[in-house]
Amino acid sequence: MFVQLLRKSILRRKSRFAMGVASVLIGAAVVTALLTVSLGVGDQVGQEFTKYGANLILQPQSNTIEIGLPGINMGSVTEQKYINESDLWMIKTIQYRANVLGFAPFLYQMVTVGDGPSAQEAVMAGTYFNKTIQIIQPVSPQDPSEFTTGIADVSSWWKVTGNWITDQNDTTSAMVGSNVAQKLNLTVGDSFKVGYAGAQNNSASSNVKELKVAGIVESGGAEDNQIFANLPVAQDLSSRPGKVDTVQLSALCVRCPVEDIASEIQGKLPGVAGTTIKQLTNAEMGMLEKYQSMMAFVTAVALLASTMGIFTTMTASVAERRKEIGLMKSIGAENRSIASLFLAEATLIGLIGGITGYGVGIVLAQFIGLSVFSTTIPLKWEVLTVVIPIAIGVSLLASALPVRRATAVEPAIVLRGE
Amino acid sequence: MDDALISLENVTKVYSGGTRALNEVTLSFEKEEWVTIMGPSGSGKTTLLNIIGCLDLPTSGIVRIDGKEVTGVGQAALTRLRRENVGLIFQQYHLIPYLTALENVMLAQYYHGNPDETKAVDALKNVGLEHRLDHLPAHLSGGEQQRVCIARALINDPAILLADEPTGNLDQTNGNVVLDLIQRLHKEGRAIVLVTHNPDISGIGDRTIRIVDGNVEQDSKPGGDRNGK
Repeated sequence: MFVQLLRKSILRRKSRFAMGVASVLIGAAVVTALLTVSLGVGDQVGQEFTKYGANLILQPQSNTIEIGLPGINMGSVTEQKYINESDLWMIKTIQYRANVLGFAPFLYQMVTVGDGPSAQEAVMAGTYFNKTIQIIQPVSPQDPSEFTTGIADVSSWWKVTGNWITDQNDTTSAMVGSNVAQKLNLTVGDSFKVGYAGAQNNSASSNVKELKVAGIVESGGAEDNQIFANLPVAQDLSSRPGKVDTVQLSALCVRCPVEDIASEIQGKLPGVAGTTIKQLTNAEMGMLEKYQSMMAFVTAVALLASTMGIFTTMTASVAERRKEIGLMKSIGAENRSIASLFLAEATLIGLIGGITGYGVGIVLAQFIGLSVFSTTIPLKWEVLTVVIPIAIGVSLLASALPVRRATAVEPAIVLRGE
Repeated sequence: MDDALISLENVTKVYSGGTRALNEVTLSFEKEEWVTIMGPSGSGKTTLLNIIGCLDLPTSGIVRIDGKEVTGVGQAALTRLRRENVGLIFQQYHLIPYLTALENVMLAQYYHGNPDETKAVDALKNVGLEHRLDHLPAHLSGGEQQRVCIARALINDPAILLADEPTGNLDQTNGNVVLDLIQRLHKEGRAIVLVTHNPDISGIGDRTIRIVDGNVEQDSKPGGDRNGK
């Protein structure tokens, strides 16, 4: 009888029931879309942040020795130290390895560009452009055994005329900073000779290289005065095989500070010190927090709108059915019978609104994914298990006061003829 | 008074706006008695019916049904008393518009905790509506709706049948059918308390009570006044 009563009372007020469902649908769709987006595009958000560049710099720990006599300080000497290129794979074995979005090692050296009187000095940096690193001992079997990264991950904002170097084995191409190119009158496709300044008296042929300009770099920073080539070119030129001066790293950590990543890497790579670029890290964290706050705010507004919608629908429904409620009470219905009828209706509104809202939310999530992150968002079934209870909860919560009013209807109204 | 089915002692009802609907009313209704209550509009007869039917509680005074004091019990207990003792017949019929005749009758069974379709069909047969079981109220005539209302009032076998202007919305033919039905029920042993404006009906019962301004102005049986007026 209860099911019959519920079914027929809903069918009689189809439009009002539909309005209630629509109210829940809006809230459920927004919650679904934002949850799906935030779960599905975590990586994409991270990738977006790599555009802002590296936020962690790894350098070799240097031993500085104070020299002089007792009471007379004559300065200090620093022993030149390097990071071993062969250790870099270990960066991807830290606990927060998934948060390491990319890195690029750098080996710097002063080089002489050109011949004779027109020769100029410049800084040359060997680095990774698009290097696939073998992760020798992945932490878990699910981890990939390789990681492709390079300067494009940490310096993607560079304006490049010509092309990026894409072949990790290319030892004849270079990317030249715009100031260097201007001084040496180099354009894309030109060839030039570089010689390692520290090896002027060394006749080894490996200390002079002929390189071809693949692209001209404009960053507005120090890079404009540098020449970039694949790391082995620089290592060979200065006879420092397998050595790296610094590593620039782009890391993103939502639930942990980047300092934790730095200290973990220090633990894994002996003799390496990590320094965070606070300003950038804080800005990234701030943006993530704002992104999350905005999502929470939009969700709260959508759920509030749903609550108001259901409240209005249920209040109107109770007002319309006042006489019916009075009649039910007059023929023996207890308050809990009346309440259960309305609460069952609210539960159904929440359930149907939640399921349809989930469907609409998935479509909305794809729209957000494509328009904001230029990617589709994978379907997250676990969102359904969150959205349905929220939808039913909101519907029941919004119905609490109208149901209270329903139970307060006096049975005597059926005789008073109100 | 101890054998009375319903007894009211000094019952006063004052509504929240200050309206005094009943004023120190003392009355008793015997088992199997037909009492007709008359009075002008606003005299307090509906309030009296509400209190007798356990639909409302008095502001002061004592109400007993079958010897049990009603006043002072909670809403849930009042609902139980109403469900077990009282059947209601309304001038407006008050059928649930989206339920069929049969379902309207079964709703009263459902709230009583014992839905029984066969019994509900028999109740409708008893009022001559066996061919209208699956009709919605909108597809029934006024007389038929009133008979569904009577079937619903009787389904839980109450001792008291309260009827508020049961023929007020019916033409004479249908009104007579309904009155015949109520008379039959009375003969079967039910107490009837009937409120009406219609003086023709007032003579049918065992006793007529006239209420004016919340006071019992006349309480008479054919052949003599009970209160000596």
